[in-house]
Amino acid sequence: MTRWERSVPVYGVPVLTRGFWALCALIAVGLVLTGYREVAGLTAGISGMTDPFAWGLWKTFNVMVLTGLGSGGFAVGIAAWVFNNKKLHSVMRVALLTSCLAYWTGLCMLGIDVGRPWNFYWVVLPWQWNLHSPLLEIAVCMSLYASVPLFLENLPPIFEYIIYEFPKWRSIAETCESVMAKVYPFIIGLAYILPMMHQSSLGALMVLGGKRVHTLWQTPCLPLIYVWAAAYLGYNCVTLCILLAKLAWKRDVDPVVMAELNKLTVWLVYSWTAFRFLDIIVRGKFLHAFTDGYFSILFWVETALTLGSAYVLSTEKGKKLSTMFNAHLLCAVGGMIYRFSPTTLAFSAKENAFYFPAAAELIVCLTFIAIAVLGYLVAVKKLAILPGSNEDWMKMAKYEESIKPGIQLTGYAPADH
Amino acid sequence: MAMTRREAFKTLAKGTLPVLAAGCVSTALPTAARAADDNELESNSKYRKVDEAHALGLLYDATKCVGCKSCMVKCSEYNELKPDTRVDGIHQAPPSLNYFTKNLIKLYRSDDGSDHSYFKQQCMHCIDPGCMNACMFGGLRKDEETGVVWWYGPKCVGCRYCQIACPFHIPAFQWDGFNPKIVKCELCRTPMQKDPSKKEPGCTKVCPTNAVIYGTRKDLLAEAKRRVAAAPGKYYQDKVYGEHDAGGTQVLYLSRVGYDKIGLPDVGEASIPSTLKYSHMAYKWMVLPLLLYGTMVALASKNFAHHSHHLVEEQKETGLRPQL
Repeated sequence: MTRWERSVPVYGVPVLTRGFWALCALIAVGLVLTGYREVAGLTAGISGMTDPFAWGLWKTFNVMVLTGLGSGGFAVGIAAWVFNNKKLHSVMRVALLTSCLAYWTGLCMLGIDVGRPWNFYWVVLPWQWNLHSPLLEIAVCMSLYASVPLFLENLPPIFEYIIYEFPKWRSIAETCESVMAKVYPFIIGLAYILPMMHQSSLGALMVLGGKRVHTLWQTPCLPLIYVWAAAYLGYNCVTLCILLAKLAWKRDVDPVVMAELNKLTVWLVYSWTAFRFLDIIVRGKFLHAFTDGYFSILFWVETALTLGSAYVLSTEKGKKLSTMFNAHLLCAVGGMIYRFSPTTLAFSAKENAFYFPAAAELIVCLTFIAIAVLGYLVAVKKLAILPGSNEDWMKMAKYEESIKPGIQLTGYAPADH
Repeated sequence: MAMTRREAFKTLAKGTLPVLAAGCVSTALPTAARAADDNELESNSKYRKVDEAHALGLLYDATKCVGCKSCMVKCSEYNELKPDTRVDGIHQAPPSLNYFTKNLIKLYRSDDGSDHSYFKQQCMHCIDPGCMNACMFGGLRKDEETGVVWWYGPKCVGCRYCQIACPFHIPAFQWDGFNPKIVKCELCRTPMQKDPSKKEPGCTKVCPTNAVIYGTRKDLLAEAKRRVAAAPGKYYQDKVYGEHDAGGTQVLYLSRVGYDKIGLPDVGEASIPSTLKYSHMAYKWMVLPLLLYGTMVALASKNFAHHSHHLVEEQKETGLRPQL
């Protein structure tokens, strides 16, 4: 039985694989289309957006859904550091990396989606803010989160890389490391409060949508339900990344940590579902879950996917890795549909109004997902991100030292601090 | 205070608390909100500063409108907009408000064709506008004197949240080109500023039947009520749309057919921004976020110290560099 003790890079695998070049090709096409969008505007050929459906995939999926999936750094981190769940420290780096990539690609998509991005500079002048706008809150907190705490949290693996690979820069990197250790609690405090604020504000956005958002979704509690969904989506994403690493690179899995991840996912989904039902019942709208045709079906699809997966994860069957993978995947799909519904699937803009993304819009959407995937694939091969055992580290060290003479990965004396 | 909070946190279950805490930030308890019943939102709307006698608007009486569309033509002329003739190349007949069209006359016809009514669409100039509440930096603003809602380009990021927040589907986005604008009725604010001889908006100036008239909201509301009182049962539910709807609008409507039939949805009497009341409570003075931040830093510091100690111990055993 493996015990995860430290993060170990994926070694002995090339970075420049066929998949790498395929992603690069998609990204190249997507970036050309992005350039065209900047010149031509969001015209019919580029996007399927119209006045009644003013928000398309780039905002509603890349930002509102995928940053939910990238909430691992917040959801796992708060359990590990604030609630002292020691088992989760080993998966923190995966969580932080996925968060960082999801947020940065999301922010890029926001910049491409908005029509007049050059006016965004007002965001650094607080006296220009409209403090009543949920979108302002998101613009401020999300960019602050991605560029300060989340960025800093992702630096330690890079410092380590410098220490091992570039002995010349070692002392500088070590100084940075010790400075970081001194202020770390203040950084991670920010890394939890900011996502709480902007992930809930993503829900608050659609509160202003009023009756156009179907009554099963539209509630004053939408912000709370939204951030709650982000929490379990973060766990889904981290678990899926780890299981995919097992599949792709035969990385061993620590059953104790996996059980902990499953347990927290299950409770988050159970409590989320209970709260959602409670909210609908208290508002007296529960009958709509049966009478509103398409919307009722959508509601039950979300509920079945999330609740069903959580139930499977809570049983003995959920311990089998293949079942675990499927359950987390379906749970993530359910949660993502939920995060997508208020803006798109359960949004009745206007009579006869219809939204379907244009081909170019879809390609650009996928491009920025591809950038995140590419970043992830390079990072886990170059940096110590994925969890492993000390034994794995020794094997990796032996391999690396054999191909790169002069590199030293073991036998370090205790640090001064 | 911080100590008791910290202890309270410790005793609670670990699993769902993070999100519960987030919920406190985002959606303060409705009961607390009701108890406080603050008027914070009013500060968002400059209307409170607008003297009611100066707030300008329109009164459109659908029963008087003959559908001649001269107001559409005049609107294009006043606002220097290219007429939208994309449907057949001849008629200015756009299917909905768009970035060529700030004012639109449409026809409602019932399914069996027995009943019909023309109706006019333009900005309602809400007293407490949703678009203005949504806008990040004040790209949509209310004229402090007249209460007219207008678009100010240098503050607009082009996020189109105003389109999501407006229940009447008024703001139109320019989908073509690299420098898009939000186009909406501004009650001919700019044309009247440019040319002081223009004393009223194009649509009211040209209307041959006086179906749409211009004035202060106070006068228009009195006139609307006079018409309703003079002919009970003539107007739908004897109601002036906009008196209370969406918190009250400076443009008022009278119609014989149901208001929902002529593009005026049942939006309730609360203003659009007031739906976010509970969310705003959570941010008041930033007390809750700061308290949460302090608590989390305190707990994380303690746990981090333990963790660092554990890492150093481990390093002594294994000779591997500790990882943060």
